[in-house]
Amino acid sequence: MKTFEEDLELKQLLKNVKTESPGSDFSARVMKQIFAEQAALERVRKEPVLGKGFWVILSLFAVLIAAVALSPGAPASNTTPALLSEINTDAVMTGYRLFFEKLGGLPVSIAGIFLATSLLVFLEKILGSRNQVLS
Amino acid sequence: MEKKDDNYYIEKVKNGQANYFSYIVDKYQDIVFSIALKVLRNREDAEEMAQESFVKAFRSLHSFKGKSKFSTWLYRITYNTCISETRKKKHHFIFTDDVQIRDEAEELNLDGIPEENREKYVKAALEKLPEDEYTLVLLYYFEDQSVDEISRITGLTASNVKVKLHRVRKKLYTILDDMLKEELYAIL
Repeated sequence: MKTFEEDLELKQLLKNVKTESPGSDFSARVMKQIFAEQAALERVRKEPVLGKGFWVILSLFAVLIAAVALSPGAPASNTTPALLSEINTDAVMTGYRLFFEKLGGLPVSIAGIFLATSLLVFLEKILGSRNQVLS
Repeated sequence: MEKKDDNYYIEKVKNGQANYFSYIVDKYQDIVFSIALKVLRNREDAEEMAQESFVKAFRSLHSFKGKSKFSTWLYRITYNTCISETRKKKHHFIFTDDVQIRDEAEELNLDGIPEENREKYVKAALEKLPEDEYTLVLLYYFEDQSVDEISRITGLTASNVKVKLHRVRKKLYTILDDMLKEELYAIL
């Protein structure tokens, strides 16, 4: 009895059978999709990960920090704008101080969790923007 | 013009010349489509999945290290894509496994079939095979893939591939034998 490896007659017979073919424009369709994907990928690669909005907010924040750091020390009540004069600034300042005191009392692990979460959200945004084109 | 092997085109594509991928598509489209057609049993779905398989291969071409044949790698993508599709769409395989293999069907006897009609008969016999057996035949006989390569494509063990190939050969002989007898009765 012949094994399937030895059965050259069957091999020859099957070799002569034509396999099925897809439509005539199949190759063109595949390449069209591939070029479209590549173009989209290029677009995403060229796009900055952090948008204009991020840099505007960051700049404003930097200016604010610089302004606070460079401004001469003055009592809070004197720097209160006239528009806010009606508001009880002492209560606001007390609340503000209390909030940061409580925040300072939190364990370091909580701060770590916040930091790690922020980092993960940031990474997710970067990877998400890269994968968008592939989905 | 000198014919280049797959690796030449793959390197070109990896270096950013995506248009070279069309050589790969042209070369393998028939086998990829045939696998998809047998599994999905519908030309439209098969074309869609064949296209999907090529696009998947293009996307992950950077991960192809050339340790196995490119065709083995591509057919594995195709096979897995089509099987996933059948599960997703909850396709029900039409089992054509009702052929009773006869022990006397050990030798190929096509003497009663004229040379010009043999392809038609063999094609009809292949049609009667279930998709997993048809894929084995396609890979082993049409594509010259080794038992180990087929094992990597289908996820079957090498010994299982051998057993199945042995069985499918006998089954093909039985089907051809039955077809010949039917033909003979029709003439008589």
